[in-house]
Amino acid sequence: MSTAISGTLTAARLHRRTLLRSALVGSAAAAVGLRAPAVLGQAKKFAGVTLQGASFASTFFGYLQNYIPEFEEETGMKVNFVTNAFPVFNQRTDLELSTQGSALDVINVTFIYSGRWIGAGWVENLKPFVEDPNLTPDDWDASDFVGGTMASLQDANGDAHGFPWEAGAMIMAAARADLLDQKGLALPTTFDELMNVCEMTKGMERVAPFTADKLHHWNWIPYLMGMGGTVFKDPPANLTPTWDTPEAAKAADFYGKLLSEYGPPGVLSFTDDQSMQSQKTGRANIRTQAITWMVPLSKDPDSRVADKVRYGPVPAGPAGSFPGSNSHGFGIPVGSKNKEAAWEFIKWAVGKDITLRMLEEHGYPSVCRRSIIDSELFKETLTLNGQDVASLYLETLELGGKSGYMKYRTVPQFPQVGDKINKAIEKVATGQADGATAMAQAQEEAVADLKKSGVQIDG
Amino acid sequence: MPALVALMVVTLLPTIYLVIVSLTPLDLARPETHWDFSDPLGQYRTVLNDERLHNSFWVQAKLSFWSVALQVLLGFLFALLLNVNSRVLLALRTVFLIPMVLPPIVVAIIWKVLYTPDISPLHWATEAMGFVVPSLITDPDWALTAIIVADVWEWFPFVMLMVLASLQMMPSEYVEAAKVDGASVLQLTFYVTLPYLKGVLLVAALFRLVDSIKAFPLIYILTDGGPGTVTEVTNFYSFIQAFNFSYLGYSSAITVVLVIVTILLSWAIIRLVGWGQRVD
Amino acid sequence: MSTDYTRTLRRERFWLHLLVIVLVLLVMFPFVWLLIMSFKTIDDIFAWPPKWFFTPTLENYTGLWQGDFPASFANSLITSVGSTVIAILLGVPGAYALSRLPVRRSNRLSILILASRMAPPIAFTIPYFLAYRYVGLLDTRIGLILIYLTFNLSLVVWLMRSFFDATPRALEEAAWIDGASLMQGFVKIILPLSGPGLAATAILCFLYSWNDFFFALILTRTEATTAPVAIVNFMNYEGWAWGKIAAGGAMVMLPVLVFSMLVRRFLIEGMTAGAVKG
Repeated sequence: MSTAISGTLTAARLHRRTLLRSALVGSAAAAVGLRAPAVLGQAKKFAGVTLQGASFASTFFGYLQNYIPEFEEETGMKVNFVTNAFPVFNQRTDLELSTQGSALDVINVTFIYSGRWIGAGWVENLKPFVEDPNLTPDDWDASDFVGGTMASLQDANGDAHGFPWEAGAMIMAAARADLLDQKGLALPTTFDELMNVCEMTKGMERVAPFTADKLHHWNWIPYLMGMGGTVFKDPPANLTPTWDTPEAAKAADFYGKLLSEYGPPGVLSFTDDQSMQSQKTGRANIRTQAITWMVPLSKDPDSRVADKVRYGPVPAGPAGSFPGSNSHGFGIPVGSKNKEAAWEFIKWAVGKDITLRMLEEHGYPSVCRRSIIDSELFKETLTLNGQDVASLYLETLELGGKSGYMKYRTVPQFPQVGDKINKAIEKVATGQADGATAMAQAQEEAVADLKKSGVQIDG
Repeated sequence: MPALVALMVVTLLPTIYLVIVSLTPLDLARPETHWDFSDPLGQYRTVLNDERLHNSFWVQAKLSFWSVALQVLLGFLFALLLNVNSRVLLALRTVFLIPMVLPPIVVAIIWKVLYTPDISPLHWATEAMGFVVPSLITDPDWALTAIIVADVWEWFPFVMLMVLASLQMMPSEYVEAAKVDGASVLQLTFYVTLPYLKGVLLVAALFRLVDSIKAFPLIYILTDGGPGTVTEVTNFYSFIQAFNFSYLGYSSAITVVLVIVTILLSWAIIRLVGWGQRVD
Repeated sequence: MSTDYTRTLRRERFWLHLLVIVLVLLVMFPFVWLLIMSFKTIDDIFAWPPKWFFTPTLENYTGLWQGDFPASFANSLITSVGSTVIAILLGVPGAYALSRLPVRRSNRLSILILASRMAPPIAFTIPYFLAYRYVGLLDTRIGLILIYLTFNLSLVVWLMRSFFDATPRALEEAAWIDGASLMQGFVKIILPLSGPGLAATAILCFLYSWNDFFFALILTRTEATTAPVAIVNFMNYEGWAWGKIAAGGAMVMLPVLVFSMLVRRFLIEGMTAGAVKG
């Protein structure tokens, strides 16, 4: 009896999914789904291959793990996908790529390392794979990926060296918008308002008005640019840092104050997750970060702020609004010995089918495929606590893609330079130096570092 | 002797290679920097001018001084306490081995837990008593102290054990004679025990000093060198240069300096211990 | 009079014991807390005030055991044992020879041995890393075993030499006079006498290798990852899985604790030998 019911339910659900899928991405995607049995009939192409994959840990891979057995069943290969802490993954993969070793077959091409890895020729050009009809069916549609999300994964000729699984777009979330309401405050739209809201809500119910994680070279830049500053003079052509400016000093002081006066205890050591936890448990209020970290505030069953959270664009400074956007994509190390299998995996993991299922089953928001972003389902899924976060997401992505202010992030030297920014912001936030001193010192160190790696610096 | 040949191969050859690399600007992202000896002393010039490196020397000095001093002091006091003929105390002695034999990474995790306000019983206890303690590892005034506390916890038993071993070999006539003269416990400690232990305390301190230069897991896990560069010791800075930025040439130059310091300290140990002595 | 004195003495002993026990509890607290945490659910870990009494769970351990952790645990075992065996086989004869060398020459070698034991790990990591790129030893267990020899070999030579120094030469000389070869004298007379020393040395080698974090962090990727590195991997981009971290920590320290408790007498001897010779 109960099996019969659950069987019917499953069938209904499957039916609904098939309907949705055909309606949304057209018959082409349905065809991809239907092809599986045909492949099963043949000898499995990749039987005996063990694919080694690596990335930094993210919700995406938590979801993907559920689907991998199907992929293994379909292709016959075994997938061993390892996720590490963000810095650990980057550092180790950087080392591994520099040796051109064969330990890894599929990697995440981390945004800030993309210029370095692709520029040094460490990540395979995927153009031949995409163009070979035997390897990639037309309906896979490489042009479906939103332009902005591909930018960091292309080389100087525009050839793709990776395909994105995450498009990060920075938005603002006030986890405890109820506190703002109590004081009659609106969601801040400018830096001044942000500071004011923090000051007015400080100490209320022991909630910290602001929270962040320690990746300052990502979180702080919108404030730097909003104040009229830049990271480099004119990236990627001219990489002279421009941090000994009044704008940079002001931005550092501003952000340092947000952290030191309004952040929860220990905010400077927060990882992404700890920062998200501080919001989810209602112990901290406002954060400006990529959407991936904001959606769980209203979606996760254990969130205590699901009915309190409010979303908005990152506040604008005197010089305008510059929310960060980035993308992380799968690539193949040049030393890999299983490139075709790796491509099979990439094709599958960022294919329409999986992307759709992630959205449908887990509400995974950072979608990179235009055909899905434009769908009703996406809008529906990203209506969070009654607010249209989907448009917010798209606007941010487009803003970053259009004006090119994110170019600073993909220059090959950014990992070193970003480290100097992290240290400077820490110094300001802990009162070891004021913005002007810390940024001037960071400037000096960055210049020395850039010269060390052979970059021409002005004056 | 095959052992010594093997030892040379696994240690001396790499060290020579290290010195060679330090004469090049090797950057893994730029293959042309391999074997580029056009400016052999370039990296060492940077060593002289790099303020962040100089800061790291200073941080190292502070870390080494305080952790070694406290380890010697605590190790000495605990040894005096435990140097009593009692079966209970003998059994308890074993417990003190634990911090020292634990994998350093586990020690780092233990203290990370204690220093994380969300889940730390220490933070809870102090809050319950009415103090609000800042998150120590992100506070520039406390971060280094937090590391020193963890390091002292891990290694004072080492000093304690060395002192205990030495106390057990202390000729009982010393103590008897002093007792006959009517010396108090305090006098006994200051005028008899301490002078007797001078040598072993010095050697223990030197061992700890050399090891303190290697401090890595605690810093890697607890503070990552921060906030800012408050806890960035030289070893850690060299690690960042080599394996985060792939400036292996520069990192090698820094490391060569560290190795020279280590060799000098090792030489001092050998002079003190007098390795020439033998039971013939 | 004499009972008075005994009573004072007994009271003093009581307070002394109490003081030491309190201190022991204090010193052990951080360690015990981690152990307790490894049996807590995530809710209990974040409970405020912290819970002393709770329903223990094994979920952290079972979760750990289903992932990649067993493989890294095995890697730790293989590399530690492998390196220890090789270091003993190579190092013990060397230590013996060194012990019988003229004083001056042996002192010069001592500096090399001690310095290599004490050099910061990064001094070896850089050249080994560069060399391993060419010969393909990155992310292999053999690669780790080799680099562990940098400290294990010198540890063996250093410690065993001091044990051999302590064995009177007269014994082996007597054996030689009786017509035993150099090798026979060593194997039949000296080695049995140094048995406890050998055990202590082997255990120390094992512990040093097992506890290594730095070399494995740099030289392994996926295949040869050791347990300490695997624990750090739980410190994820998206989460501090505290329960799993604590359980991993407990697993890694378990063999160390068992080992050092079993042989604590030798351990103390081994760690302080050479430095505090009588």
